[in-house]
Amino acid sequence: MERREALRLMGAASVFSVLSSDLFTATLQAQLAANKSGALRTLSPAQNEIVLAMSDVMIPATGTPGAKAAKVNEFVDLILTDWATEEERKIFIEGLAEADRKSNALFGHGYAAATQSEQTAIVQIFDEELATSRNEKLPEQVRAWEVTLLHPFFAQMRRLVLVGYYTSPVGQEQELKVEIIPGELHGCVPAEPEVKQ
Amino acid sequence: MSSVKKPETYDAIIIGSGMTGGWAAKELTEKGLKVLVLEAGRPIEPDRDYVEHVPVTEMKFRGMNDRQETLKDQPIQRTCYACDEWASKFFVKDTEHPYTTDPEKPFAWIRGRQVGGKSIMWARQSYRWSDLDFEANAREGIGVDWPIRYADIEPWYNYVEDFAGITGQAEGLPQLPDSHFLPPMEMNCAEIAVKERMMRQFGRDRVMTIGRAAILTQTHNGRAACHYCGPCHRGCITRSYFSSVNATLPIAEKTGRMTLRPHSVVHSLIFDSQTRRVTGVKVIDGQTHKAMEFQGRIIFLCASALESTRILLNSATPEFSTGLANSSGELGKNLMDHIMGGGADGIIPGFLDRVQTGKRPNGIYVPRFRNVSGQEKNFVRGYAYQGQAEREGWERGIHESGFGASFKNSLRKPGPWKMTFHGFGECLPNPANFVEIDKERVDAWGVPVLKIHCEWRDNEKALLHDMMIQAAEMLTTAGAVEIRPYKQNNPPGLTIHEMGTARMGADPKKSVLNPHNQAHDVKNLFMTDGACMASSSCVNPSLTYMALTARACDFAVSQMKKGEL
Repeated sequence: MERREALRLMGAASVFSVLSSDLFTATLQAQLAANKSGALRTLSPAQNEIVLAMSDVMIPATGTPGAKAAKVNEFVDLILTDWATEEERKIFIEGLAEADRKSNALFGHGYAAATQSEQTAIVQIFDEELATSRNEKLPEQVRAWEVTLLHPFFAQMRRLVLVGYYTSPVGQEQELKVEIIPGELHGCVPAEPEVKQ
Repeated sequence: MSSVKKPETYDAIIIGSGMTGGWAAKELTEKGLKVLVLEAGRPIEPDRDYVEHVPVTEMKFRGMNDRQETLKDQPIQRTCYACDEWASKFFVKDTEHPYTTDPEKPFAWIRGRQVGGKSIMWARQSYRWSDLDFEANAREGIGVDWPIRYADIEPWYNYVEDFAGITGQAEGLPQLPDSHFLPPMEMNCAEIAVKERMMRQFGRDRVMTIGRAAILTQTHNGRAACHYCGPCHRGCITRSYFSSVNATLPIAEKTGRMTLRPHSVVHSLIFDSQTRRVTGVKVIDGQTHKAMEFQGRIIFLCASALESTRILLNSATPEFSTGLANSSGELGKNLMDHIMGGGADGIIPGFLDRVQTGKRPNGIYVPRFRNVSGQEKNFVRGYAYQGQAEREGWERGIHESGFGASFKNSLRKPGPWKMTFHGFGECLPNPANFVEIDKERVDAWGVPVLKIHCEWRDNEKALLHDMMIQAAEMLTTAGAVEIRPYKQNNPPGLTIHEMGTARMGADPKKSVLNPHNQAHDVKNLFMTDGACMASSSCVNPSLTYMALTARACDFAVSQMKKGEL
């Protein structure tokens, strides 16, 4: 126990010292860019509303917060702005327009204005369309190391929502309860249903 | 009359501070020599530079890497798995370190320029060679015969292992001699099952053992045991894995006899044709770009296989017009790398109520089983597998259908056990795989760059194909389902086991280095990194470089004491 605690503290110290140097600047910039509400750089307010609503349908609040609370929309905006190619960005933005078109056709109003069950129905349609298109063409190369967003809109959306959620403080600390420094290795032990805090 | 200050003379100058440079620094200072270590890159301070505990939440791109920046600055380095959002700072900027290749024949030259070199990001897998490897060239009439055998290097394996600390399980296999092991890491549930099922099918012909790695499973020589955080390639604040920064350089520092000079880009060596010795090193300061010289009685080239060879090629003299110490004409030839990436994965059903806790920075290993007891295949030599079983995390959701609360709840739990075998095959020495100086280009410090000519040949391609087929067969034997064989198209270099280009041999007409890593042509010049290799085996090479370096240091100092150097 003492060893684990010492390592935990050391881990914290290490993080602190790292944050006090050049990484701090980068992290700070990222947070400034991402956290300022209204500071979205690619998504328009209307598009942001769609991303917020759709991400929360995909990863809703359960016993733990969902995608909206984890600010997945801000991660999506960051990736679209500083990471994606023009082509990838176009696919995504067009996908948001398609969500509005689907919603208007089925329910007579845009996606963000739809009820939760209407929003769920549209995500269901996207999910099924993607599953069908995936079955049509198998991946050309197993284990391509390169992560790209050169995929249909809903595949982009799924990746960004999952990465954005599970790598957020909410995802790491509350949902997954990730331990940065486990301290010990055990190869094959019973899975514990819930770790006592 | 002269007011020019005479440059300080060191007993030894070591070029490079990574895997082998660190060992040379430790050995030579402990034997009483005053040593200058020249490192081209910046200093590394673990407290400031190691980032293994920085949570993904703190990273700007949350682990998706700074794609636009690396496409611009590190288009080659970014193809290495370890060049991630945390560790990319340990890899060079390709824009500053150009090299050229033939059209359509890429070579991925993965480099780390900093104190510690690539020993900071290496995968720590550590395996001994056997006489199956050392005798292979002579047996098959390929390349030149190794001038040493296992018996020559065995005491030096013992020596470096006792210092570095190698975890592993003794198996008593002739083709993969056991090291002096620290306790092995545990296999997980699916790996134990696969190992047992393979044993029933293959007996001792194909053994699956836990990976052998330079990671401490108990406190060792004042360094702490591993705490299983996982991403070693980002650093290790507890110094639990072996790197020069974590282990050898601190010992050299403690002797008070080491001067470590970062930001020292070596341009070339200075050769005195009268005394037949190298007398010093021409250096360009990495920050000011000022030229300077340092003098030493002996010189150890430990800059990495291709950088060390590049320095000799750039040190041509009227006598050695094709590169210093190159009377044999072999300098630059026989570049090798392991061919990697034939394999398979599959799901091992069951064990869903059991998990692995702790992130094991090590996998399993299946030692070479092809052509071990005789030539039996339509290819020569063989390959080994690294691999692991793991339960996938939330990432599997990226490729699955579904959404909503039930999807979220299912991703909170780990997925099924997935077992992977990933092959690493031996590469034959071939003089048509070679490097030379590209006279048209220089790097950011004005040093002429390499032109690399290298491609996989038929034997390597045959190994790659067989490793895919056999991986799938072993998974079938192990009861796996959803088996996916694969064969990657990786360029040479990407395995980062590049070696050769200044081979060791008994005959000065056919080799650059003698059996003690000493240049045949220049007695006070030693080269102990991967450049010296006369063949490549299929095992990860760093442990052998460490042993050869310690052995060469012992030889050099004994020669100095006898007045021979």
